[in-house]
Amino acid sequence: MASVTISGVEKWFGTLQILHGIDIDIEDQEFVVLVGPSGCGKSTLLRMIAGLEPISDGEISIGTRVINNVPARDRDIAMVFQNYALYPHMSVYDNIGFSLKLRKRSKQEISEKISEAAEILDLTPYLERSPRQLSGGQRQRVAMGRALVRDAQVFLFDEPLSNLDAKLRVVMRTEIKALHQRLKTTSVYVTHDQIEAMTMADRIVVMNKGRVEQIGTPMDLYDFPANLFVADFIGSPSMNFIEGVVAADNEGPFVMAKDRTRLAISRDSSAELGQKVIYGARPEHLVLSGGSEGFGATVEVIEPTGPNIQIFADVAGQRICALSPERRTHKPGQKIRLHCPEASVHLFDASSGARI
Amino acid sequence: MTPKLKKSLLYWLLLSPLCVVILLPFGVMFVTALRPRDELFVYPPTWTFSEFRWENFVEMWVKTNFGGALLNSLYVSLTSTIIAIVLSIPAAYALSRYRFSGKGLYRNFLLMTQMMSPIVLVLGLFRLMVHLNLVNSLNSLVVTYVAFNMAFTIWMLQSYFNTIPRELEEASWIDGATSFTSLVKIFLPLAVPAMVVTAIFTFINSWNEFVLALTLIRSQNDYTLPVQIFSQVAGRYQVEWHHVMAATVLATVPVAIVFSWLQRYLIRGMALGAVK
Repeated sequence: MASVTISGVEKWFGTLQILHGIDIDIEDQEFVVLVGPSGCGKSTLLRMIAGLEPISDGEISIGTRVINNVPARDRDIAMVFQNYALYPHMSVYDNIGFSLKLRKRSKQEISEKISEAAEILDLTPYLERSPRQLSGGQRQRVAMGRALVRDAQVFLFDEPLSNLDAKLRVVMRTEIKALHQRLKTTSVYVTHDQIEAMTMADRIVVMNKGRVEQIGTPMDLYDFPANLFVADFIGSPSMNFIEGVVAADNEGPFVMAKDRTRLAISRDSSAELGQKVIYGARPEHLVLSGGSEGFGATVEVIEPTGPNIQIFADVAGQRICALSPERRTHKPGQKIRLHCPEASVHLFDASSGARI
Repeated sequence: MTPKLKKSLLYWLLLSPLCVVILLPFGVMFVTALRPRDELFVYPPTWTFSEFRWENFVEMWVKTNFGGALLNSLYVSLTSTIIAIVLSIPAAYALSRYRFSGKGLYRNFLLMTQMMSPIVLVLGLFRLMVHLNLVNSLNSLVVTYVAFNMAFTIWMLQSYFNTIPRELEEASWIDGATSFTSLVKIFLPLAVPAMVVTAIFTFINSWNEFVLALTLIRSQNDYTLPVQIFSQVAGRYQVEWHHVMAATVLATVPVAIVFSWLQRYLIRGMALGAVK
């Protein structure tokens, strides 16, 4: 097991720059998730760690060893691919044992290791089958098994769950996390699914357009998003944004939306009077208020999800979403009042998008 | 009559003119090969004959030196198929996996070589072979067949190679395989259907080739089957048609059998490749 250090890494395809100087320190035994929309460069970065993509500039080290020029087979890493990449002409047993065979381990050791991995992953009854006779979830586990027997220093996962159906994805997510807690191998996991990132990661790296937007623990990112992009990307349903200008009256500072709706903010806020800002509130922080507290909204659509009811409403010409656990029935067109506790309000500079 | 049966009958009816056109020469071939010599030119022509003359084949074999020509054909077709495949695999692999300058140009060049009929080039090729001292050698045919077939084999293999996921090789590299091990243990086993299909095509092309064989081979001992059979017809006072047809049957049937046996690979290979 080892740490992974990525410093100043750039990637160019011809004249097109894909990664703009990435710096990430991944500690030993840590589970780090790279998350971002498709095309943000997260998979490219993972492939560069794996040695499948040359590094244009900067340095990647595993432990104390710089691996820029080390071929993939000597990096002592294991990788799980999105399409599993199981060798179709080999049995499950041979798939899992392939790396050990290449390393010329004894037959007995190979068979011990394979049965141990199969035991952990519930694959024992399927060892003689070929990959095409397995279900998606089983294939996924074989791919994990292939990584497991290696005792590699670092595990790399490239969107390993995106080919599974929604239910299985949740199950496998927990299994991978449990496996990491047991083996404690340093892991780098790429996904575009923020829920996967939130649930699995020790730390999340949010990437966008080849840059790192923010690095932090899941709750850090959720509670203190560094900018609009992170605020929008993390959390589902995503944060509501209302444009406005900072103003103040005798009740304290507030953000005045376009139609003069008053959105209260904290007195401790460092936003300046007259500054153009974006007011952000998570759906789960917007509560229905009985009295005159908060701001007015017009109900547009109601979506019950079971535990909650999603209320989509119009505020200052923008559609926002509020989560309410109450089973009160609202009608489209109904006027309601919503309130967000000042401590839960996020403010972003309208021009730079940075957190205020 | 069920609607399904009606439909099939209708389709067969529509197809029948085509079947007649295709099957008639084969019918004539079989019937002529098996009838006694005196019944060759009865008028009006009939499909029936008095006895099955299997001796025709034996006589033909001896008289026309069929065995020698068969060996020549086998040698030329097998060798050129093997060489073409062995040389095409690296080329197709490079085209499928690597980015290099001039790749598009090279592909177009391969395509263009297919646009020229061998007969246009036959004179030039003959002079080239004279220069290389290869005229009258079966190897001249091997070289030219390999050259003519490689454009096709490279295209065919490349389009199939493209369907083999890159991740399989990447996974094997990460598992600790060198590029060579990965190629031999992972990539090529998966490419077997494509290699079989391409080999069949190349073999049949070489087996049936006539113009180049006629031009480049001068001595009767080195004739391949098509030329040998042709020589039984051309420039003779008397053509032994029953022998010619017996030879044609022997030259056609084995290939047809092999072809139909391998056709499951053919369909699989084509369906997986870009040809579908």
